[in-house]
Amino acid sequence: MFAVVALGVGVVLGLVLEPTVPAQLQPYLPIAVVAALDAVFGGVRAKLDKIFDDKQFVVSFVSNVLVAALIVYVGDHLGVGGQLSTGVVVVFGVRIFGNVAAIRRHLFRA
Amino acid sequence: MTGTPTRPTRRGGASDLLARLFGNLLDSEYAHTTAPRTRPGRLAARAAALTALVATGFLLAVAYQSVLATEPAASKARAKLVSDVRERQRQADALQKQADRLRDDVARQREAALAGSGDAERLFDLGAASGLTAVHGDGVVVRLTDAPAPVDPVTGKPTGATNLGRVLDRDLQDVANELWRDGAEAIAINGERLTATSTIRQAGGAILVDFRPVTGPYEVSAVGPSDLDRRFQASDTGQRFRHYVAAYGMQVSVKRTKGLTLPAGPDPRLRYAVPAPTGSPTGSPTGSPTAGGSAGPSVGSSVPSPSGGG
Repeated sequence: MFAVVALGVGVVLGLVLEPTVPAQLQPYLPIAVVAALDAVFGGVRAKLDKIFDDKQFVVSFVSNVLVAALIVYVGDHLGVGGQLSTGVVVVFGVRIFGNVAAIRRHLFRA
Repeated sequence: MTGTPTRPTRRGGASDLLARLFGNLLDSEYAHTTAPRTRPGRLAARAAALTALVATGFLLAVAYQSVLATEPAASKARAKLVSDVRERQRQADALQKQADRLRDDVARQREAALAGSGDAERLFDLGAASGLTAVHGDGVVVRLTDAPAPVDPVTGKPTGATNLGRVLDRDLQDVANELWRDGAEAIAINGERLTATSTIRQAGGAILVDFRPVTGPYEVSAVGPSDLDRRFQASDTGQRFRHYVAAYGMQVSVKRTKGLTLPAGPDPRLRYAVPAPTGSPTGSPTGSPTAGGSAGPSVGSSVPSPSGGG
């Protein structure tokens, strides 16, 4: 419950503050979003598995976002930024799907 | 080498890799966490998790807004340009309408002023002859169309060879000159009325009549005597164009047409001689004493004026 409220607070904060994203960070934003979504779905799944751990969640969130951004950053400087960001999106997409499938199995037993 | 039965391990290895990849991916990070560890002493971790969630929501909102901010920038600019264009078109239409009204007004006033004397008819005749007023009458339409581009007989694609049957500015000049000689009183090419100073020239691939581009098929409309088409066909020029048709595939048709309406040509630009700039003394090598530079005849291959028009 607190988690949903916190998520909503974050959305409201983002909408109210309307921060401007620096141009250099623009390419990393979608990657960071996907990584964060992955962490969130992983957390939900763990919660349903009753193995949720706050510390694990925070570490996975931060490391996901940072590593994804780092990969894209390095790729940008090696001339394969677009391909690497696609790869990152694919990996996180697969993970999100897997986590959602696990959540679904928990909720609907199907 | 790929897929040979002597190397079954390769394929097995690959599928193994995929399975491992997806298996690992699906493995949650919490796999090593065996038991719930939400002890009451871990409030700090709890707060950190909530902060991370807030950050996630924040990220979502920021990403959404940055997409919103960047995406419409292009379409907004485009919408503005479109509305600008519409606005200008409306203005141009209004100005055109105003110009037409004023021109009618001028014509009416002139008629009223010249009523009674024979000057009005004379003015009208002169205007028709010089191309300054629209004329209506029977005549011929000479229609010139480029020959189709030469195609490769095998591939059917256009070859790079020059199309000898293309209509050139010279052809239009010849047709116009021939029509003048055959007694045409007024000529227009694709609706561009020819006047005494009209030019027909080529710029790149386009033909410009009075500096306005015209595109094929080119229609040279001429108002003139009833046997204009016969005279044109019998002339050397007509013969030459028949040769072009036979040899190069250019399409030429000469058709007698009733009730042609040729629009008025552009208003002649009045040119004035101006005294040479006083700043330069008479001894200056560049200062021309005649100051006729701006009053010369129009450059380019101009069509000669009608000799016996009117």
